[in-house]
Amino acid sequence: MTDATLNSPKTGSRPNRSPNLAKGFNFVRFKKITEVGIKSIYSHGLRSLLTVLGIVIGVAAVIAMLAVSEGASYEAQQQFRDLGASNILVKSVKPAEVEESSRSGFGPPQAIVYGLTTADITTIRNSIPGISNVIASRIVKKNVWNGGLNINTDVVGTSVDYPVSRNYNLKAGRFFSESEMRDHGNVVVLSDEVAQALFPIDNPLGKTIRIDSDYYNIVGIMESEGFSNLGQNQAGSSNSAPSRIFIPFTSSKSRFGETTTRQTAGGVESETVELHEAIIQVEGQDGVIEVGEIIDQILQRRHKDIDYEIEVPLALLRQAEESALRDQIVAGAIAGISLLVGGIGIMNIMLASVTERTREIGIRRALGAKRKDIIMQFLIEAVILSGVGGLIGVVLGIAIPFIISVFWGMTTIVTPLAPILAFSISALIGMIFGIYPSIRAADMDPVEALRHE
Amino acid sequence: MLETVSSENADSDVIAIRGQDIVASLDDIRKTYYMGALSVEVLHGISLDFYQGDYISIMGPSGCGKSTLMNILGCLDQPTEGRYFLGDQDTSKMEDDELSSIRGARLGFIFQSYNLIQQLNVLENIEMPLFYQGYSEADSHEIAMGLAARVGLDDRVDHKPFELSGGQQQRVAIARALAVDPLIILADEPTGNLDSKSGAEILNLFDELHDQGKTLIMVTHSDEMAERSQRLVRLRDGLVESDDRRNA
Repeated sequence: MTDATLNSPKTGSRPNRSPNLAKGFNFVRFKKITEVGIKSIYSHGLRSLLTVLGIVIGVAAVIAMLAVSEGASYEAQQQFRDLGASNILVKSVKPAEVEESSRSGFGPPQAIVYGLTTADITTIRNSIPGISNVIASRIVKKNVWNGGLNINTDVVGTSVDYPVSRNYNLKAGRFFSESEMRDHGNVVVLSDEVAQALFPIDNPLGKTIRIDSDYYNIVGIMESEGFSNLGQNQAGSSNSAPSRIFIPFTSSKSRFGETTTRQTAGGVESETVELHEAIIQVEGQDGVIEVGEIIDQILQRRHKDIDYEIEVPLALLRQAEESALRDQIVAGAIAGISLLVGGIGIMNIMLASVTERTREIGIRRALGAKRKDIIMQFLIEAVILSGVGGLIGVVLGIAIPFIISVFWGMTTIVTPLAPILAFSISALIGMIFGIYPSIRAADMDPVEALRHE
Repeated sequence: MLETVSSENADSDVIAIRGQDIVASLDDIRKTYYMGALSVEVLHGISLDFYQGDYISIMGPSGCGKSTLMNILGCLDQPTEGRYFLGDQDTSKMEDDELSSIRGARLGFIFQSYNLIQQLNVLENIEMPLFYQGYSEADSHEIAMGLAARVGLDDRVDHKPFELSGGQQQRVAIARALAVDPLIILADEPTGNLDSKSGAEILNLFDELHDQGKTLIMVTHSDEMAERSQRLVRLRDGLVESDDRRNA
């Protein structure tokens, strides 16, 4: 034989390197497989995009729906919290039958008498322990004048504790005092909205406004109402007043009387209401809901018609929380379904990809790829697919609530948990739905796979 | 000069005479395929020894078991009976993972239809066996560049297979087969898809490899190609019909 064959089989040009066959996680290997995966996904751009659409929609839907429901529940909770969690609100409501009879009646208009009375409040105070305070208010709709400027607003005759009971703060000046209350004083506190409408330039503090023929000194201005306008406007008008002003309860009673008259399409309508609203403060939150039920029983006994309404903010808050939870469960279910559909889409396309690349699998197997290398390759590809889908979904899912709040003015809250959770689930979905196609790829007989056309 | 070595007595004195190592040894290999209740024995007991630096052609009519034998030699398939030693390892009882390892580390494949991966460029195709052997990126790159130069494609390393001619693709496949410096290079009709000029180039490359001491086993239909090898094994009906050695 020639000498050549006796030489070392190593040829000159080849560097003498040793392979690294260390067990365990190999980052370079992982990186390389990932690169190959990205390449293969990229080479089927449109198909890959359509494949991940399900995941994109699923993830975006989860985040957007959670953001909207989170925002809505935040808003609702904020409203009820402003009403005070230890408060019970009792309002006078015009009973339906009375309204009917007054409309169909002939002759001169008669004053309809309905609603809460001071006697009701006294009974409630005396029979239920644990009530710390009751703030009763009369709410009358009036035109309020500053010289030539006027605004139609609710004039609330109330007691000195009103701002405290409603977590409603002063912006400037003070609320009226006990002595002004006692003296039926002509003092008024404006809401910020009314102050701005009547005094667009100058500071209203110390100035006067006119209601009917009486002048009132402005002693304070409340903060902008924000969410706290729930439960306002009980003066029989269906139009929501833009805002309110506050005068002592005693002044309201003596200046405006108990009977109010207003123009209607059919003529003149008058009604007599002693109290429009009472905020009943309970000591501590624990008994609030029970106290609300007892008040209802007392009022039922004392009133022939249902001419009152009881609002327990805490109960409403609980309801709001429950419905928010329900919303989130529904959102979760919808999202879950679309993620499932997305996952099936990924499995479908991975199976197609495995069949399409049978030959490649055969080649890789021949060149030393183990079954686990093949599984790894297809699994990583599935995870990249769903991960990219998840990422697009996260971007959309954050953008959609933003657009909603900009264009529709809804409060939306994207909690950091939602995108993280949605993205992780999408990657997990890719992994779960990638397992079967990957195993199918790895289980191929290398000989068969190499023969595949 | 022709030297006939019967497959039965490929024994120690032959090795001693030739002063060469046995790189692969088939010992009474049988292969039976089962199709439901039907079983077909394709190989009926094949024993062959392959020496370091051998350049072997395997010929035979279709259906004689050439492909089955090549699959077994390539550790892509297992014999039903008999033992196959590759280097010092008995592969006939190996698990799937061990077979993958041994394929990747000790064998180089050259296919009739090149079997390059279309999404990968020339360099990446050559690097692939190194990747599965766990070579570092820098080493793989260096080795692959060297091999690309060796098959004359160092100016095309970033081309995709479909941008190359058949002859060029087959040269990439040869470079890939050489990447891990295998014990044996298995070529299955390497020029079957090529025109005569490209085919001749490939055969020249094989001659070079042979001169450098590589062990080559090639399945072919062409006598002309078989002429260039140094040992010709003819199969017929699942048995070795003849095993002729000649001085190249």
